[in-house]
Amino acid sequence: MNLPTRSLFLKILLWFWATILLTAFSIIVTLILQPGGVSSQWHDPLIDTAKYAGATIVQEYEHHGAQGASDYLLERARTTHLQACLLHLDGTSILGNGCERFGRIAHSATMKGKPEFNFEHGLATVAVTVQGARDDKYIYVTESPVGPRAAVATNMAAVAIRCLVALFVPGLICYLLTRYLTAPILRLREASQQLAAGNLSTRADKRMSLRRDELGLLVNDFNVMAERLEGLVNGQRQLIYDISHELRSPLTRLNVALDIGRGRKGNDQAFDQMQQDLERMNQMIERLLTLARLDAVAASVPFESLNLTDLVANIVHSAGFELHERSDRITMNSREVFFVRGNMELLQSAIENVIRNAIRYNNSEEPVQIVLERMESSVRITVRDHGLGVPSEYLQRIFEPFHRVADDRDRQTGGTGLGLAITERAIRMHGGEVHAVNAPPHGLAVHILLPLQT
Amino acid sequence: MKQDRVLIIDDDMELCRLLSERLQPEGFAIETIQDGQIGLKRAALGQHDLVILDLMLPGMSGLDVLRNLRSHSSAPVLILTARGDDVDRILGLEIGADDYLPKPFNPRELVARIRAILRRVSRDTGNSSIVIVDSVRLEPSALKVWVDETEVSVTSLEFSLLEAFMRNAGQVMTREDLTEQVLGRKLGPFDRVIDVHVSNLRKKLGRFSSEELIKAVRGTGYLFVARSGSR
Repeated sequence: MNLPTRSLFLKILLWFWATILLTAFSIIVTLILQPGGVSSQWHDPLIDTAKYAGATIVQEYEHHGAQGASDYLLERARTTHLQACLLHLDGTSILGNGCERFGRIAHSATMKGKPEFNFEHGLATVAVTVQGARDDKYIYVTESPVGPRAAVATNMAAVAIRCLVALFVPGLICYLLTRYLTAPILRLREASQQLAAGNLSTRADKRMSLRRDELGLLVNDFNVMAERLEGLVNGQRQLIYDISHELRSPLTRLNVALDIGRGRKGNDQAFDQMQQDLERMNQMIERLLTLARLDAVAASVPFESLNLTDLVANIVHSAGFELHERSDRITMNSREVFFVRGNMELLQSAIENVIRNAIRYNNSEEPVQIVLERMESSVRITVRDHGLGVPSEYLQRIFEPFHRVADDRDRQTGGTGLGLAITERAIRMHGGEVHAVNAPPHGLAVHILLPLQT
Repeated sequence: MKQDRVLIIDDDMELCRLLSERLQPEGFAIETIQDGQIGLKRAALGQHDLVILDLMLPGMSGLDVLRNLRSHSSAPVLILTARGDDVDRILGLEIGADDYLPKPFNPRELVARIRAILRRVSRDTGNSSIVIVDSVRLEPSALKVWVDETEVSVTSLEFSLLEAFMRNAGQVMTREDLTEQVLGRKLGPFDRVIDVHVSNLRKKLGRFSSEELIKAVRGTGYLFVARSGSR
């Protein structure tokens, strides 16, 4: 997938993911910060455990004094991360560190005379009264492994795994959802690019239009639009083709009739003018038909491996032939033999049109220069004349049908206004490109780039 | 003087009338037919010296008529093709047309092409000495070609082309020379008719001969390879 830098895909994915993670995080935080009781199902086991531990501590305290019992408590705190304290009934502490914070719970346990629970900061605390050997009563307060903080405090590896799972499961779900939403958009974009590039038979994937959501509707509409566009453009092309085709029969008859007329009435300037215009119309129709066919059958033209250097040499040879005694006015230079994949007839007429054009406008003593050179994986054919060149604002438009830079001059020299349009389409069909630049000091250089055969 | 009989197969009736009017004073006996099927039957009778065939016929297409005609006749055929339709033109030449003329055409050009083809045909039958180069034997009187005692069927134009090659075996023939000798006209700019004919001939000979008899000489033309010299 070719994603734009600020892609919708990333935006949706990150926002969804962040939302899920933030929600989860805030739930955990509220659980930890929210004070509350310990659910009753835990009471009995917690009391039992606390009583047992408390009894052990008291026994230790009464038999071996404060030092031994304190060591025991510290050892317990170190291994379990659970704080515990032993207090007198009046709340003064006997054993343990930081017992002040247990003062309140110890007090209420003494008042009520039964075990007391507290749930704070994600951890449960339980206070129980413990009966000593000499009728003394003590309060034993201990934290218990109940609540989310207990998990944090006990096993770091397990916590890490849980965090990773919590991170990536929503991540995966978000990824799939986002893909489901954005992949059709990207594919639709591809189709519209194809359409814009002139590939009018392109349609968005049929499977996408089976979706019954908004995207499915959009894909459907896109395809309807493409269909209509193709119909319109093809209709227009067919019209041009049909008109040119139909014009041929009367033109042929006109040619013959004119010749018969000439035979009967002898030569006349009017006949010459008619002859010349007929020739021009003949040529225009030929080019129009070529153009129409290029647009219509682009996909079905057979390609073969071609020696481009030979092909250009042949064209140059023929063009030199056309120039008769002025054949020194065209030169060709190629350092290697280049092979391309293409259709010979089309490439020939494409390159021929450019060369003919160059010859037509080369009103200088310098010859028309043709150079073939390697440009990375392409071959560049440069056709340079030494004529007047083309105003820079028209440089791209000379490849449009019937575009004329200088009307009168062009018509005098017999141009049809279609040659370069044919070139442009034929070269594009071969995956190449053509553009024109003004070459200093004066003259036009047309560059044809064609991909080399691999 | 015997008139050359020319058959025109074209669906445009008015054009046929104009062409008859234009061509008869040139000394041709013109017969025109507007339908491909009927035209094919007439042409197959072998009563004509030349067939002018429009490739854009309705019904049975011109290419089909030509293909059918070639299966039992080697009569010269001039095809009329659509301007700009290179594919049809090349196909027509490959199937065995002698030459082509894009429509609309200048009638003088048509007359020149007709005369060129007829000139070649009458010359073919004139020279009767048998030519043998290596494994290839040419019998001008019967218009037959043999490679290693196997008869190769060629059109009359291919026969003339091969004869030109074999009479100049071992020498490079330029495309200009070949066009003038075989097609009877000057090589035009961007004219590839002779190359299509050479390619057809190479294909036909290649079926019977393991070695390449006609070689392309880059930028110039073609060469008939002679190992033992000609007789």
